[in-house]
Amino acid sequence: MIVIGGGHAGVEAAEASSRFGVKTLLITHDKSKIGEMSCNPAIGGIGKSHLAKEVDALGGLMARATDKAGIHYRVLNSTKGQAVRATRVQTDRELYKSAIQNFLSSSVNLTITEDSVVDLDIENSTIKSVTTEKGEKIFSNSVILTTGTFLGGVMHTGLKQSSGGRIGDPSSDKLAQKLRGLNLKVGRLKTGTPPRLNKHTIDWSLLSPQPGDTPTPLLSYTSQASERPEQLNCYMTRTNKTTHQVILNHLDESPMYSGVIEGVGPRYCPSIEDKVMRFSERDSHQIFAEPEGLNSDLIYPNGISTSLPLRAQKELIKSIKGFENAKIVRPGYAIEYDFFDPTGLKHSLETKTISGLFFAGQINGTTGYEEAAAQGIMAGINASLKATNQETFELQRDEAYIGVLIDDLVSLGTKEPYRMFTSRAEYRLILREDNADMRLTEKGRKLGIVSDLLWQKYKEKKDTTTHEILRLKKDKLKPNTPEAKKIKEQTGEDISNNTSLFEMLKRPKVLHSHLPQGKTTLASNAVDEIEASVKYEGYIKRQQIDIERLQRNENTPIPEHIDYKKVVGLSNEVKQKLSEARPVSLARASRLPGVTPAAISLLMIYLKKERQAVG
Amino acid sequence: MSTNRTIIAPATVPGRGGVSIIRMSGDLSKSIAEDMCGELAEAWRFKRCSIKSRNGSKIDDGMVVFFKSPNSYTGDDVVEFHCHGNPTIVNLVLEEAVNRGAVVAEPGEFTKTAFLNEKIDLVQAESVADLINAQSEMAVVAANSSLSGQFSEQINRLLDGIVKARVVVEASIDFPEDEIDSSILESIKEELQGFLAETNELLSCVKEGVKLRDGFSVAIVGPPNAGKSSLLNLLAREDLAITSEVPGTTRDLVKTSVNIGGALIEFVDTAGLRSDPDGPIEEEGIQRSKEVIKKSNLSLLVQDATDIKEFDLGLGDSFTVLNKSDLLEGGFSNSDNTFYLSCSTGQGVDELLGALIVRLGMGGGEETVFLSRQRHEISLKSGGRFLEEALMSLGEGQVLELVAESLRSAHAALGDILRPMSADDLLGEIFSEFCIGK
Repeated sequence: MIVIGGGHAGVEAAEASSRFGVKTLLITHDKSKIGEMSCNPAIGGIGKSHLAKEVDALGGLMARATDKAGIHYRVLNSTKGQAVRATRVQTDRELYKSAIQNFLSSSVNLTITEDSVVDLDIENSTIKSVTTEKGEKIFSNSVILTTGTFLGGVMHTGLKQSSGGRIGDPSSDKLAQKLRGLNLKVGRLKTGTPPRLNKHTIDWSLLSPQPGDTPTPLLSYTSQASERPEQLNCYMTRTNKTTHQVILNHLDESPMYSGVIEGVGPRYCPSIEDKVMRFSERDSHQIFAEPEGLNSDLIYPNGISTSLPLRAQKELIKSIKGFENAKIVRPGYAIEYDFFDPTGLKHSLETKTISGLFFAGQINGTTGYEEAAAQGIMAGINASLKATNQETFELQRDEAYIGVLIDDLVSLGTKEPYRMFTSRAEYRLILREDNADMRLTEKGRKLGIVSDLLWQKYKEKKDTTTHEILRLKKDKLKPNTPEAKKIKEQTGEDISNNTSLFEMLKRPKVLHSHLPQGKTTLASNAVDEIEASVKYEGYIKRQQIDIERLQRNENTPIPEHIDYKKVVGLSNEVKQKLSEARPVSLARASRLPGVTPAAISLLMIYLKKERQAVG
Repeated sequence: MSTNRTIIAPATVPGRGGVSIIRMSGDLSKSIAEDMCGELAEAWRFKRCSIKSRNGSKIDDGMVVFFKSPNSYTGDDVVEFHCHGNPTIVNLVLEEAVNRGAVVAEPGEFTKTAFLNEKIDLVQAESVADLINAQSEMAVVAANSSLSGQFSEQINRLLDGIVKARVVVEASIDFPEDEIDSSILESIKEELQGFLAETNELLSCVKEGVKLRDGFSVAIVGPPNAGKSSLLNLLAREDLAITSEVPGTTRDLVKTSVNIGGALIEFVDTAGLRSDPDGPIEEEGIQRSKEVIKKSNLSLLVQDATDIKEFDLGLGDSFTVLNKSDLLEGGFSNSDNTFYLSCSTGQGVDELLGALIVRLGMGGGEETVFLSRQRHEISLKSGGRFLEEALMSLGEGQVLELVAESLRSAHAALGDILRPMSADDLLGEIFSEFCIGK
């Protein structure tokens, strides 16, 4: 197995296949950059922490490395219910990188080499070997490409351009050229980053501090609080009218607005130029001053990503409260890069056209470390399964955000850098931070990639929650007892008849902590899981009915070489869509845009006819 | 082979007829039917029964028969209700079954199920495919003709409102750190109450059959005493339809709205015409008839079969109705546009009505205005239920993700009527509405 690229997708892919027991080679142009966070120094956030926890539940690295590097933890949406609560962690870049590198160095089946891949050898639509810059030809029939923004990367600062995938790192132009020559659809995307500031030149007294949460949570199911480094505050400031005027004055030097950039940027992470132009009625936008690490002098001013020329960036920074004398250590820039239309992939992340070649991460049009890691681990698992002649491992939309991510990408493609949001998941109430282990760890264990420690923790949690639910169902609360009075005091909830604790917990205002406790103390993630599964019970049952209905179509396979032209009654448009997408099941066909229920019926009839003709 | 869906639809063309058959297929068929009609006879035997609604009131006296899987039309368990040929009754039977867990069948779904269960020959696969296509097209036509501009507008407005509310709720969930203008969130309770009221209003509109379409308009013209009024009375018979008398715009016009097969048809009865007008009044009568004809979808020229007159009315799409056929000696037969009937014996009225239904695009298969109306009604009902649920979650201390879940379901249900929406569209709305992202 060869993994090309040492970013967040690459390391998860390499580690997963190594845990799986496949001899793995990770090729990267600079070993010291393995696990680098090239954008903001934070892991998690809404939808993203869900992905990170799912990767963790499958035995992945991201959450464990985060806990060794986390310097500021917050639970977002903590006033809302469990399904939408999300942990976000500011991390020390150096600690994160070294945690990842340490994990890899103790990985048994993994070799890391410093080189660049310049050519892929493909015969009969099957990957055979890769050729490196140093002239080595390495044979393998499983190759995972995780080259991020390095393919055809162009950085813009003002109207100046330079080639590269990240400041100070070269882009992979030769490989990009090679890939462009293959029969894969290429698109161009854009993303940006803000200027980095020197910590000592900011007047912190003018910024408002944002402390992290206490008690401080952990991201991984297996981390210990003692692994966490010292905790720091984050700070906030805002742009103002002067800032916005500076931007307007320099707009003609913005590569975005002067038409130099052709790639499409994300709608949810706009540059400050975009924010000012699109929301002209706002005269202020917030900026989060995030420390890059415990010992780092750098501050990441989150919220002002820009590609204006350095002169303008200096003026812009100076206009902001607290940043009046701040020094820019590294200017902000926009980066354009190639991505491959992910509809060219199977759900296993193997390319449809080249057997044994897998793509994971930003190369598929996603953005974010967590999205990359999620694809990385899945590509690693599937490439290993393929190498050992086993069936693919796929997660459904009702099983994991990973399933939503991959299904969205592969079925629908993307027009902008794809980021996870909880609103993308129709089964949001089922896919929670608190139960990623309940959803996935058993599957991971079966694959052989879950450590004994995680397995042990999982079994303990499962045992305690099962027992606790039984206790809640069995134990009754009687009216006019001290316990009932206590609940009335705390929540205002009356009870008139003997009521099981389980029924009490269904009431929105009643939390587990309000109830009489059992003998065993529960871990907080076990309590979360119990509360969520009790409170959402009715909704989850309803969703389960949907899921079962879908399942039947999920289980109706469409043969790989079906000729849609032969399906009677389908419109030409639908025929073309299906021929391009080549969905593997009826359910996946039905999720394609423009494929009507009538078209699905016609397909069902055709499949039935074919089966009868054969049988 | 069993399916999860239990489907139901009328098996006979709606409109008038002695008997209507409603067919239900799927696992729940038997239990639903027993709940509505009491214990069924053994399989393949008819049983006389009273079909009852949930609150116990009688809908109709009829017959019910159970076909046990696999020996049935579809191969699944099938129940057929045979009831009186009255659209209102058919509608009620459908509604009761739906309330108990059946769903209104998709276009061609019965035939499809039969094929998948190998009840229909492999050779017929292509014709089944054709049927599904044809029925789907018909369903679109029927759905369009069941929606008046006003009704669509109201649904669109309601959907716009729900989308706006969803945008704010979803944005507050996915972007808690961004500065979302949450003023809508504060007034969301009133917003939702408004949506619920609107949904309920639309529901009652659908039930009453008003506003769904301004109605098809059919002009009845012809000489005096040819039987125009008798024909109208016959068409408007109580067991056929709900009718309402509206005074004409002038004292010479009588408009009668008749609900046939779920669609509203307005019959406009004009004053009698004389073939050779010899006075100013007749001249004006001709003029007025021509105007009515112009505004109508179809005209019925009613003549006395024993005394046919010549008219130059510029009739567009029209049927010639030859009344008093009972007085004719010798044979006669209908052609495409000519119908013999007798208003005094009622003979031949069914044929005319059948032709009317087909001509106005209201029938000719399983897919009718009636069925699409049923689907609208069901969508509105579940939409309303989810809105109520959202309000309940709000009342219980703003469990926002549950409000979001109920609103998603409400949007899905109501969106079925006009325009479904994907998750990414919603995100698009969020990003255009709010400045998101650090």
